[in-house]
Amino acid sequence: RRCLISVDMNQLEESFQEIKRAIQTKDTFQNITILSTVETLQSIKPVDVCCVTKNLLEFYMRRVFKDHQELKPQILRRISSIANSFLYMQKTLKQCQEQRGCQCSEEATNATRIVHDNYDQLGIPSAAIKSLGELNIFIAWIEKNHQATSV
Amino acid sequence: MKNVLHWNPPESLRGAEVTYTVQYFIYGQKKWLNKADCKNISRTYCDLSDETADYEHQYYAKVKAMWKTNCSKWIETGRFYPFLETRIGPPEVALTTDEKSISIVLTAPDKWKTNPEDCTISMQQIYSNLKYNVSVYNIKSKRTWSQCVTNHTLVLSWLEPNTLYCVQVESFVPGLPRPAQPSQKQCVRTLEDPTSALK
Repeated sequence: RRCLISVDMNQLEESFQEIKRAIQTKDTFQNITILSTVETLQSIKPVDVCCVTKNLLEFYMRRVFKDHQELKPQILRRISSIANSFLYMQKTLKQCQEQRGCQCSEEATNATRIVHDNYDQLGIPSAAIKSLGELNIFIAWIEKNHQATSV
Repeated sequence: MKNVLHWNPPESLRGAEVTYTVQYFIYGQKKWLNKADCKNISRTYCDLSDETADYEHQYYAKVKAMWKTNCSKWIETGRFYPFLETRIGPPEVALTTDEKSISIVLTAPDKWKTNPEDCTISMQQIYSNLKYNVSVYNIKSKRTWSQCVTNHTLVLSWLEPNTLYCVQVESFVPGLPRPAQPSQKQCVRTLEDPTSALK
């Protein structure tokens, strides 16, 4: 059985909706994506879901949320709320991982590497803004792939 | 996932013969694309359902106004993500009654298709965790109760015989805050209790 996480997606999605327009408006590179919707995430196999989730949570926690310099307090509050949800997910995955493992296939590792490459290519301020604006892609992907709440 | 772009005519040109042109953009791709039948139109909406049918992509749209030789700048939408932002229609609801129960059969709504010939996709296939909020109203007692179900069949038991009940159902996806669209209210009467006729 796979490691899956159960989290209140409602609160996560609502936090994102609050910052969506402000963040996405600052993203002026409409022709570039970090998470590459269809090519990368949608092609992930069920067996790789745990590994990719773990890697993308780490991507956001270690790079995106750290690199993004937010001036508006209300947006900063929402980003912190999202970061806290991700922290909780990381802990949940870690517990499960110790019991059931969380293998990373070559495809899963490649998918993560594509995301990091896209991020590096775009450069920090823009890449962080774009990644924040693409949180809804990651949230929708989690929603779709982590429905069975077996932890 | 019927996705229609709407806009308001320019305030200063009300009543003038203004035409509009629409373009759309698939997030992550290279260039803006024309929408053929929304070029130099006088109506103030444009159906982009076909162009945004792939609900896992995100999109922008923009429109500009033209009047005589004048042309406005483009006005652009925010980034639109059909998978998260579409409003899910109500299910089909079929009711059958007994003396003390009502059986409800629900059928998930279908994905919008512009061309009836296209194959039908159930929203259940897109949102496998689609759920339903069933509301029941007892006309006699004026009491309402509701329950959330995942299955497509539900039996309401321990009802009062010979009583009118009204049922309304909403589809929703847990976790994603969107306005729900309830089904038409349907009312049915439970059957007479045959034993009561003997008394």
